[in-house]
Amino acid sequence: MPLKALDIYKLLPRKNCKECGDPTCLTFAMKLASGKGEVDRCPYLDEQTRNILGSSTRPPIRLVRVGVGERSFAVGDELVQFRHEKTFYHPPGVMVAVSDLWTREKVQEVVARVRDTVIVRVGTDLRLDGVAIRGQSGDPSTFRKAVEAVEDIADLPEVLMAGEPAVMDQGLAVCGHFRPLIHAATPLNHEAMAGLARDYGCPLAVKPDSPGDLEALVARCTDRGVKNLVLDPAASSLHRFQNVSSAIRQQAITRTTPSLGYPVFLDAAATGMQDAAIVTGILRFASVIVVEDPGPASLLALLTLRQNIYTDPQKPIQMTPGVYRVGNPGPDAPVLLTVNFSLTFFTLQGYLEAARVPCFMVIVDTEGLSVLTAVAAGKLSEALVAESLKKFGMESEVSHRSLIIPGYAAPLSGRIEEATGWKAMVGPRDAADIGEYLEKEWKH
Amino acid sequence: MALQTISSWSGRIGTVVLGATPSEGGSRSIRYTIGGEQDLPFVGDPPSGHLPLVAYELCDDPAIWPPVVREFLGDLAGDPGAWAREAERSYRPDLVRLFLTSTRKRDFQDYAGLRRTIEEVLQQATLPLIIEGSTDQAVDSEVFAACGEAGEGERLLLGTAEAGRYRSVAAAAMAYGHAVIAQSPIDINLAKQLNILLRETGVPADRIVIDPYTGALGYGFEYSYSVMERIRTSALKGDADLAMPMISGAPDTLTIREVREASPAIRQDVAMKWELYTALSSALAGASIVCVRHPQTIAPLREAISAHWGGAGEG
Repeated sequence: MPLKALDIYKLLPRKNCKECGDPTCLTFAMKLASGKGEVDRCPYLDEQTRNILGSSTRPPIRLVRVGVGERSFAVGDELVQFRHEKTFYHPPGVMVAVSDLWTREKVQEVVARVRDTVIVRVGTDLRLDGVAIRGQSGDPSTFRKAVEAVEDIADLPEVLMAGEPAVMDQGLAVCGHFRPLIHAATPLNHEAMAGLARDYGCPLAVKPDSPGDLEALVARCTDRGVKNLVLDPAASSLHRFQNVSSAIRQQAITRTTPSLGYPVFLDAAATGMQDAAIVTGILRFASVIVVEDPGPASLLALLTLRQNIYTDPQKPIQMTPGVYRVGNPGPDAPVLLTVNFSLTFFTLQGYLEAARVPCFMVIVDTEGLSVLTAVAAGKLSEALVAESLKKFGMESEVSHRSLIIPGYAAPLSGRIEEATGWKAMVGPRDAADIGEYLEKEWKH
Repeated sequence: MALQTISSWSGRIGTVVLGATPSEGGSRSIRYTIGGEQDLPFVGDPPSGHLPLVAYELCDDPAIWPPVVREFLGDLAGDPGAWAREAERSYRPDLVRLFLTSTRKRDFQDYAGLRRTIEEVLQQATLPLIIEGSTDQAVDSEVFAACGEAGEGERLLLGTAEAGRYRSVAAAAMAYGHAVIAQSPIDINLAKQLNILLRETGVPADRIVIDPYTGALGYGFEYSYSVMERIRTSALKGDADLAMPMISGAPDTLTIREVREASPAIRQDVAMKWELYTALSSALAGASIVCVRHPQTIAPLREAISAHWGGAGEG
C-alpha cells in the first residue's frame, strides 16, 4: 500500500537539515508520497527504513533507460492498465535481432537499416529503437566481434543476449559504458550477471524458469545492488505471455507486489509467430520487444500500431482548420466540406485521392468531433460554415458556388444555403462512396 | 506458483447463437455460440467464454471492393456463390460475411436478384452467414425483408442497425429468427442507447451483436480499440445494456494510403499485415467476431487467436 505523506514524515529524522535539497522533512515526505522523490537523498535513514520507504514511494513501475544519447529510450513509469483510464506514456523499444553467427556484413546490413529507417506518419518520425545481439556461438571472442560490428556503424541502444557471464563480459567490454540491456540473469547465472550489471551500471533483464519465480529472482538481483531491472516472464506461449504480463501490470500499478514494478521484456521472435507476438507485446504492456528483421510490411504496421496505442486518448487528434488540396484543383474543381476530426479527414482524403478527382477540402473547426457527433452537438453549424468559407477565401479559389456537404450534415443543407449563398449538395454518408458520387453528381 | 490477474468482475457477456444446422431447421454445417466471457479477453486458464471467430467478407458487386483484393482474386470476385465456396474451402474462415453492395447503386430495385444471390451463397457455402444489407433508408425495408426471408431458418447475423435506421433490419430479424448487428460511431453511450432502442423494439439481448465501428489502423483505430475496451469493462462491471458480444471489421483497412501506395512487390503483404494487426488487436480488445477481406489474412489470424486462447481452441 502507498504510504501517506504524514506516515512517511514519521519515519524521517524530522531535523529539517535540508541535506536532501528540500526545505523541511515534511516537504520531502510529500515529494516521496507523490512518487517524485528519491529516498536515497536523505543520508540519515537506516537500512530498514530505507527499504520500507523505497518500496512504497517509488513510481509503481520503475523507469529504465536503455542506451545513451539521442536514440536512447526510457520505458516503465506507467500508471494504468487501460489506455482510456489516462494514457500510456513510454512506448516499447523495438529491438531488431542480429546473431554472432552471422557475417560482419550481414550484421551491419541489418544494423544500418535499423539506424536509417524512418517512417513519417501524422507529422511524427517513427523509428525502430535498437539492436539485440544474440550470442548464439557461445564463444566470448565471437560475441565480442559481433558487438564491435554493431558499434562500428551505429550509436543505437543494444540488448546483449548471452547466457554465459564470460560471453557477456566480452560484449560489455565493447559497449558496457553505453548502457546496453543485459539479457539475462537466470537462476543459474544471476550472481555473475548482477555483478556485471552493477559494475557497468547497466539495466538487467531477469529471466526465471517460470513466471512464478520472477519475484524471487528479482529480489536476488536487487540484493546485489542492481536497481534497473526488466522482467522476462519466460512465458511458454502467447496465451501465457498475455496473462502473465497483464498480471504483472496489475500487481505493479496497484502496488500489490512491488517487486514486480519493472518494465516487461518480450522476445517476439522466439514465439514462432512474430507478428502476433508484436501485437500482443504492444497491447499487453511489453516495454522491450526483440524481433527478427520484420520486413517492410510488418515494420509499417507495427510502428503504426505502437503510435496509435501510445497516443493520448484524452486529446482527440485534430486537423488545423483550413483548405486542403487533393491533386491540383482548378477554379471549376469540387469543394467538399468536412470536420477537423483527423480520422474523418484522413479517411475522406484517402478516398478522394483514390478517386483521382482534383478538389478542395474545406476543413472546419468542430473541435475534433466527427460529423455525426458535431451535428448532434451543434458544433457544425451554418454560421461556422459561412465564416470558414469567408476566412479561407474560397470565393476567390473557385468560379462556382457549389459546396458538397457530408451526408450526415444533410439536415443543415437548407440553412447552409441561406447563410452562405452557396448551393449545398448533400454528399454520401460513407466516405467510401465519394468517388462514385463525384463521378455521377459532380460531372453532370 | 501461478502469476495471474486478480479479477473481481460481477458481470458476464451474454451469448448469441449464429447459424443453424439441419437438426435445428437450417442447412449450416456448424453453429457457433459467441460471447459468454466473465473476464477480460483471453484472460484465464482456459479463458472464459467462447473463442473469437474470423469472418471473411465478400460482396455481390465488387466495383467498390478494395482493388488489392480484386487483384488477388481475379474473376472470382464477380461471382458471390463461387467466391463464398472458394473462401470456405481454401481460406478456411469461421464465418462468411456477405455485403450486398449491389443495393448501393442508384435506384436499386432488383430484390429478386438479391434473394437469388443469398440463396446461391447459402447453397455454395456451408458456414454460418452474416449479411450486410442496404445503407439507404429508401430501400431498407425491402432489402432486409429479402435477406430475412431468403435466410429463414439459418439464424443469420443481419447488419446493420444504426440509431436513425434500425426498424427495418430489426423487423426482418424478428420475423425470420435472425440476430442483428447494432452499429454506433465509436461512442460507448450511443452503443448503449441503440441497444436499448432495439430492445424496446422487441429484439432480445441474445440477438444483438455490438459493432462499435472500427477505424483503420493509423486512421483512428486507437479510438475504436479503447471504445471496445470500455464497452467490455462496463459490461463486466454489470452494465447489462452493453453486455453483448462485439463484432469488428475495419472497412477502410485495404483502401488506406499505405496499402494503395505500397510498391506492387509488397502491396499484398502490406494489405495482409495491416488486416492482421488490426483484427488481432480488436480481438484482444474484446471483439468476438473479427472480419477481414484479404484471403491470406485468415490463416495467420486464426492461428494467432488460437495461440492466445491457449492453443487448444474450441468449436
